[in-house]
Amino acid sequence: MSDLLRHAWVIARKDLVIELRSRTAFVSTLVFTVLVLIVFNFGRDPTATAVLDLAPGILCVTYTFAAMLALNRAFQLELENQALEGLLLTPISRRSIYIGKLIANLAFVGLVEAVGLPLFVVFFNVPVGHVLPALAGLIALSTVGFVAVGTLFSAMVIRTRFAELMLPVLQLPFSIPPLVLAVLATAKLFTGRPLEESLGYLKLLAAYDIVFIGLSTLLFPATVDE
Amino acid sequence: MTLASRGRAVTAVALLLLVGVYVRALAFTPLERFQGAAQKIFYLHVPAAWSAMLAMGMVGLASVLYLLLKDQRFDRFAAASAEVGTAFCVVMLTTGPLWARPVWGTWWAWDARLTLTLFLFFLYIGYLLLRQAVGDPPGARARYSAVLGICGTVLLPFIHLSVYLFRTLHPQPIVLKPSAPSLPGVMLVTLLYSFGVFTLLYIGFVMQRYAVGEESAHA
Amino acid sequence: MPENIPQNAGYMVAAYIVTAIIVLAYAASLYRRTRGR
Repeated sequence: MSDLLRHAWVIARKDLVIELRSRTAFVSTLVFTVLVLIVFNFGRDPTATAVLDLAPGILCVTYTFAAMLALNRAFQLELENQALEGLLLTPISRRSIYIGKLIANLAFVGLVEAVGLPLFVVFFNVPVGHVLPALAGLIALSTVGFVAVGTLFSAMVIRTRFAELMLPVLQLPFSIPPLVLAVLATAKLFTGRPLEESLGYLKLLAAYDIVFIGLSTLLFPATVDE
Repeated sequence: MTLASRGRAVTAVALLLLVGVYVRALAFTPLERFQGAAQKIFYLHVPAAWSAMLAMGMVGLASVLYLLLKDQRFDRFAAASAEVGTAFCVVMLTTGPLWARPVWGTWWAWDARLTLTLFLFFLYIGYLLLRQAVGDPPGARARYSAVLGICGTVLLPFIHLSVYLFRTLHPQPIVLKPSAPSLPGVMLVTLLYSFGVFTLLYIGFVMQRYAVGEESAHA
Repeated sequence: MPENIPQNAGYMVAAYIVTAIIVLAYAASLYRRTRGR
């Protein structure tokens, strides 16, 4: 078990170091997130609906799109120089590769979300300070499941034609349960409802995460084995 | 007889029996008092939905078996079931709004069941697109499809559960109640007959589509 | 029959026709693809 995690961490660190060296992907994803928030602002009539009604949806949808974009680059690194084949030749197990990729993707997406949140607060004037821990936990829960499936799928689509189109088409149906649950729970948080009322949503989110992380880890070897 | 010709025979029988369903539903089954004639769409919509769900379940099962046993025939069956399921899904998605509009006053509603049917459709489309988009290496298409098939089948209950947390407009199940079906006898018989025909149609279609897959594999 | 049964047979006809079209079109497609086997 510790081998699994140790190897996974090696893979994750490799990806994150590469990201750190040239921050293009991160900056681009961040800029994209900000632009989506801006688009949402102009997509609504400020006199017609209260911000608080739309805010949960805006936040969660923006995060979903940003995560989609981030996942597109997940296996791009390996595609260049046939690094994936090299990676598969190492004694590191397939499961470790998957978990390592997952950790790297989560770190990437998490950072984008963390930077995006204050901007969301500023743009839409939504106070979140009093619910920040709960909100952060909720965002983390909904991101994990989605990124788990996305990491699995991105391994598949890099070998297909029109990979950039295939990934969203396959991935977005899987984003719906986390999105729906996150929006429902976020709405409760923003309107000051007690945390107990969101507990059902959070449990379902956790169940989704556990099921799909498990399933993706199990199925990942089928996407890279010959 | 080859699989294809047997499939054609089964389909032909099923189509003839489908005419029987049409006649029975339209001429020999009474009108429903509150919904009017539009209620009869039920005799096509529900069995189509059943076939579409059955087909997806078969895709999931075949996908698991393929990954475990690596037998090409399971992949061929999954591909066949997916295409056939898509056809039934289209029937379901067209008859659904045609039933909803007169009865609920709206073409569409985002309740749990309708939304699930929409997602079932997009899973099918994604599955078919993926199969088309994968080129080399050989065997990748079968493996990738299997992965998607399994993930998709597992996703469906989550979709249903999460959307259920919104208000649902869908009629409550009136056939499969534990005590006794609230559907009057005549209507129940028509419905069950239609279920049988749609299942037979599924079988005939899959046999033929499987044969098509065999043909392209050995071409 | 009570007068308040809604008059919506048009939808029923449309649905039955659409279903027939889809089923027959797919059956025809399969028939063409398996011709000769």
